[in-house]
Amino acid sequence: MTNITTWARVKSPWVLHFNSGACNGCDIEVVALLTPKYDVERFGVKLEPSPRHADVLLTTGCVTEQCAERLKRIYEQMPQPKFVVAIGACACAGGVFAGNYSVVGGVDKVIPVNAYIPGCPPRPEAIIDGVVKLLNSLQQPAANKEEVKTDGKQ
Amino acid sequence: MANNDINILKVLEAKNFQIQPGKLGTVAIQAGGGKHRDALKALLEVDEKTAVTAITGIDLGDNIGVYYHVRTSNAFATIQCEVPKDKPTLATITDLVPGAAFHELEVTDLLGVVFVGHPSPGRFVLPDTWPEGVYPLRKDFKPSEIKFNPPSTEDVSLSDDRGLVKIVIGPHHPALLEPEKFAVLVDGETVKNVEPRIGYVHRGVEKAAESKTYLQGVYLVERICGICNSCHATAFVEAVEKILKTEVPPRAKYIRTIILELNRLHSHLLTLGHAGLEIGYETLFQYFWRDREPIMDLTEMVTGNRVISSSLTVGGVRRDIKETDIPKIKATLAALRKKIPFYKQMYENEPSLKMRMQKVGTLSREDALKLCVVGPVARGSGVDIDVRKDEPYEAYGEIPFKEIVYTAGDTWARMNVRMDEVEESINIIEYALDHLPGGAYRVKVPRVVPPGEAVNRVEAPRGELFYYVKSNGTAFPERVKVRTPTFANIPAFLKTAIGENIADVPPNFVSLDPCFSCTDR
Repeated sequence: MTNITTWARVKSPWVLHFNSGACNGCDIEVVALLTPKYDVERFGVKLEPSPRHADVLLTTGCVTEQCAERLKRIYEQMPQPKFVVAIGACACAGGVFAGNYSVVGGVDKVIPVNAYIPGCPPRPEAIIDGVVKLLNSLQQPAANKEEVKTDGKQ
Repeated sequence: MANNDINILKVLEAKNFQIQPGKLGTVAIQAGGGKHRDALKALLEVDEKTAVTAITGIDLGDNIGVYYHVRTSNAFATIQCEVPKDKPTLATITDLVPGAAFHELEVTDLLGVVFVGHPSPGRFVLPDTWPEGVYPLRKDFKPSEIKFNPPSTEDVSLSDDRGLVKIVIGPHHPALLEPEKFAVLVDGETVKNVEPRIGYVHRGVEKAAESKTYLQGVYLVERICGICNSCHATAFVEAVEKILKTEVPPRAKYIRTIILELNRLHSHLLTLGHAGLEIGYETLFQYFWRDREPIMDLTEMVTGNRVISSSLTVGGVRRDIKETDIPKIKATLAALRKKIPFYKQMYENEPSLKMRMQKVGTLSREDALKLCVVGPVARGSGVDIDVRKDEPYEAYGEIPFKEIVYTAGDTWARMNVRMDEVEESINIIEYALDHLPGGAYRVKVPRVVPPGEAVNRVEAPRGELFYYVKSNGTAFPERVKVRTPTFANIPAFLKTAIGENIADVPPNFVSLDPCFSCTDR
């Protein structure tokens, strides 16, 4: 049974995108992933509007004070097992906005993160690489908790 | 153009205002002691296109300066007044210019100036948990000492006494790419009111800019918005160059123009596709984004990066355009040009597009002027304002291009303005490449900027982008104020959504090309 669910998850992960304070740079790259040139649907990745149906949460941007509570709530609404990918320098560690008065910091200050994809913004190829590495890691038992790092070039 | 400038000065002189021509735009008007309303009235009488571009609040020590930046058809005035810090109150101007409502709220939030008579005071960009009486843009503010209030657990009522239902869109909603909240009050299917709550992406960029050097500041302001990043960079570096009195080499001006127009191309293609997504026409979205990719590749070729270009710097640009790249750029643009008739015909004739967009979100010319909207939203309502024409910057004064104006004022008109501007952008880039001057592409500038202040405007894809920069003689700016086009355009949505069908909210909204990372900063 576990094998079947893992297979299903790896072959067709449903992702949810949430911007918790990004500049739109990473967001347009995430959307670009869904369009003909990059087309992540070939990996079975589908953008899902509701947190209740999502397996993977793609977060972009630093976490602002106003968004922190909402980000946490969205994470809590997702069914188990769930994975979080932090896309871009801001989501990884706050980026240029770290230390500002209304910024909490990177996404990992609020919710656990499974994969970090650095870059400002990361290239679509780097995001695909990160998501695929995360999916591959799911196939190995007990590897779920390990952090996945990519060499996302800017 | 010159005639109109003199006109304003004469009118102001005749009314005995204290003026300083050439400062902060065409003229700075000293209007302390409640005279700011009189000065604004005088400017409103001069020209029907007079509008408030921005209100800058600035900490001057014992006083708080409040600067009203006012644009007319082809002049730019700044009305300056000061209020004491211990009793910072000022009469509102929202009765004269309804479009100034958001600007006043922002100054109240960030500097604590109370505008007496404001129709809807309240929290604007700061978080809900922000403590009372703390104002981040005052100089005595210490970020480490903020004690946030606990988050409110109060349930939001979803209906009101009149039996209307409140539909909350956001902060996380499939139709929004960015977190922002709009509470739409509906009676059946008809929208009765829209209450916005912005500030979810407020990162305090204006404050952060004060602790970064001018060079670092360029990278910071670019990250206000990932879509129109070059416009932010241009607006900032031009303001700094005005203070430094640096003359940028002609080649740099042309290269900047090319980068700015590439920026506009990718932004307009993005919106034209996004509009398809919002009306359930996903094929259109995929088509536009497919054809946007070559523009991203061009941006990468010219600037080195796909999205955030980081190519502009004080004194010029950081990279030259290689001679060998010019044919490649031209070939890509020619390929895009070939596809335009297909898209134009789609937007003009496709029945499903017309049904969802025509007569939706109609903004009359009078309302557009009253609400001070900018960019394609204004031009879709027949208001011919375009900073590239009104106050040419970079190489725009030397490049011939058409200003696109539609008069219908609906969603369809706004999208068609963008559609036609795509073609104009291609023309501009091709002209700039053909007439690219030789020589240096950057000059050396000092790191320390002498004391001074400057205002600057740039036509971003979404409209007029405004910057105010004040330097204090060090390597760090004293104040950087940013007023982004979406900030000025949101009132148009709040106005036009009322009375329409709830299903028309998404196309109406997306026709503003909203960008909240810009709005909140």
